[in-house]
Amino acid sequence: MFDFLLRKVYNTSMITQEKLQILTESAKYDVSCSSSGSGRKNQGGIGNGYIAGCCHSFTPDGRCVSLLKILLSNDCIYDCKYCPNRVTADVPRATATVDEICELTIDFYKRNYIEGLFLSSAVHKNPNYTMERLVEVIKKLRTEYNFHGYIHLKGIPRADPSLNRLGALYADRMSYNIELPSEQSLKLLAPQKDKRSLLLPMKNLTQERSAFLEEKKKGLVKGRFLPAGQTTQMIVGASPEADGQILRLTQALYRNMQLKRVYYSSYLPVVEDSLLPSKAVGQLREHRLYQADWLLRFYGFTVEEIVNESENLSMELDPKCAWALRNMHLFPMEINDAPLEGLLRVPGIGARNAHKIIQARRFTTLSFEDLIKMKIALKRAKHFITCNGKFYGAKNETAVKGLLISAENGESAIQTDIFSLLQNEKTVSDKKLLFSDSATALTVRTGEL
Amino acid sequence: MLYIFDGTVYGFLTAFLEAFHDENALLCSREKQLVLGYTPVFVTTDEARAKKAENRLKSFDGDCLRDLQTLLRCGQADSEQVAFAYFRALANAKRPIRNDLSKSEVFQATEYIKKVGLEIHRFHGFIRFMETASGALYAPFAPDNDICELLLPHFRARLPHYPFVLHDTVRKKAVVYDGEHTFSAPLDKADILLSANETAWQSLWRKYYDAVNIPARERLKQMRGYMPVRYWKFMPEKNKYSP
Repeated sequence: MFDFLLRKVYNTSMITQEKLQILTESAKYDVSCSSSGSGRKNQGGIGNGYIAGCCHSFTPDGRCVSLLKILLSNDCIYDCKYCPNRVTADVPRATATVDEICELTIDFYKRNYIEGLFLSSAVHKNPNYTMERLVEVIKKLRTEYNFHGYIHLKGIPRADPSLNRLGALYADRMSYNIELPSEQSLKLLAPQKDKRSLLLPMKNLTQERSAFLEEKKKGLVKGRFLPAGQTTQMIVGASPEADGQILRLTQALYRNMQLKRVYYSSYLPVVEDSLLPSKAVGQLREHRLYQADWLLRFYGFTVEEIVNESENLSMELDPKCAWALRNMHLFPMEINDAPLEGLLRVPGIGARNAHKIIQARRFTTLSFEDLIKMKIALKRAKHFITCNGKFYGAKNETAVKGLLISAENGESAIQTDIFSLLQNEKTVSDKKLLFSDSATALTVRTGEL
Repeated sequence: MLYIFDGTVYGFLTAFLEAFHDENALLCSREKQLVLGYTPVFVTTDEARAKKAENRLKSFDGDCLRDLQTLLRCGQADSEQVAFAYFRALANAKRPIRNDLSKSEVFQATEYIKKVGLEIHRFHGFIRFMETASGALYAPFAPDNDICELLLPHFRARLPHYPFVLHDTVRKKAVVYDGEHTFSAPLDKADILLSANETAWQSLWRKYYDAVNIPARERLKQMRGYMPVRYWKFMPEKNKYSP
């Protein structure tokens, strides 16, 4: 019965420890590790998609390991100043073979170490050569190794559009990193990349994806075209752009390119260069950008409400608190009759708790004690709500601001209770979702980074 | 009084009927420790009565049996008692109450149901298979809740060609997928012969785990929050375990 287990189709081409180390260390500054958004089915081989995404481990830096994040090669012809793999850097170089990556993926996957592959590469020889090889890997994984797990493919700027399209047929998600938030910074720090070479393929894929979905609806085509969409990433703090400018770019990417996520990576000086700052950017700035990003995607905010173009986000207060303090005339909000959109604007009340309140108040008029019983965090929220007409917060705005700042300092800077968010899935999905597509909605509930 | 039942759904429902009008009732399953100071009553499962109760409860809330099954798998010491309070409230309300979260019985029950769901989700990621010489996969793990059977469909769907064993070392039981059928069986200790390459793949995985970390951004508290230390025992990146 188990004969098939003894058959071996491929000769083992196990990657060496050294090569794995070089190619992983070169890839690790890519932020994205999410495996959500694809419900790919198992079609007789190994693996399937997990629509909400799944974390398989966590490293001491607090990040999750979901995908095998690796470069095919770190041997680069480009000279981007911030990059540890740039051509002028004196680092060990390695290039993996197609089968080494495929076997590594399969063997890690079947042991349940990973949810799939995040394949990227330095620009090796030239853009087309690199992209061809990347596509070759994922095509072989899908067609010969019969792998149906998650694949995130990094696009290579300036590669031929037909190669990008081919990649999109096999991958679940593709991404082009914008790298720096303005054209001038790109020119200065990544001279071989420009806005056009990064945004054009993104735009093409967005258009092709909607065309594909249109045809699929009519039954003209089968299969998948980037079921988990596209994402991008930019480095924050290597160049002088303000948060307001960065978030305006983000909003445009969500609106015009329909990206699923924009990732921010706070600048770490891994490379010394006179054009680059010598100090790392604090994690708090990155965290504030993510908070604002969440407000844009899931809380119905526009960037204009959050921050002026030339300004940075407040370090003292999270962007929702800061917005609420500027708009005190809208508060306090009565917890028993505020609409969902209103509850979502109360500092301290997140998507999950807003839904909880709406469900519970159908049964009874909620008092302050009820909210405590429901374990809704009120440290911040109490200054902005009334429960059945009663107000429990501080009397004046100055006091509120002081208390909010101390509430902020009392907590660790970054806390996202990702798992407990997920558990409410059933109850939340019964409700009318705020979010336009279910995959994004799932991502917000899993809080996957 | 302390009502002790056999841990099954019908056992619970029989005990539920007997304890319903007892204001000081405590429910607990046989495996758990006795509570001091209560007179114990050993409840004999009465399937016919239990089925009647089941239908009645279902008429109040069609999904409530699923809640019960989940609560009975919960590893918390007082989970049967929490289930009892929730079902008594449901029987009194005669309509679904799962979202009436300001009621403490309901809130507590949903918290416990979430605990089980959370652990299932976590182990979808944290299960670590090792490859045996026969090609079958073996994963020991030590969950807080009795979730073996609930993990199985996930792995069967993604690994249809690999026979595997999920071994709950706390409850000393295992679920098995033999490539075709699934079943569960008691299992204390498994004798395993690893495949030739297994240790090499494990050390590659360790190498990967160490290489993908960014030491300049250490946040150990966050790591432990997402991946509690009690789960590390069977994860090769955290612990060298060999059966």
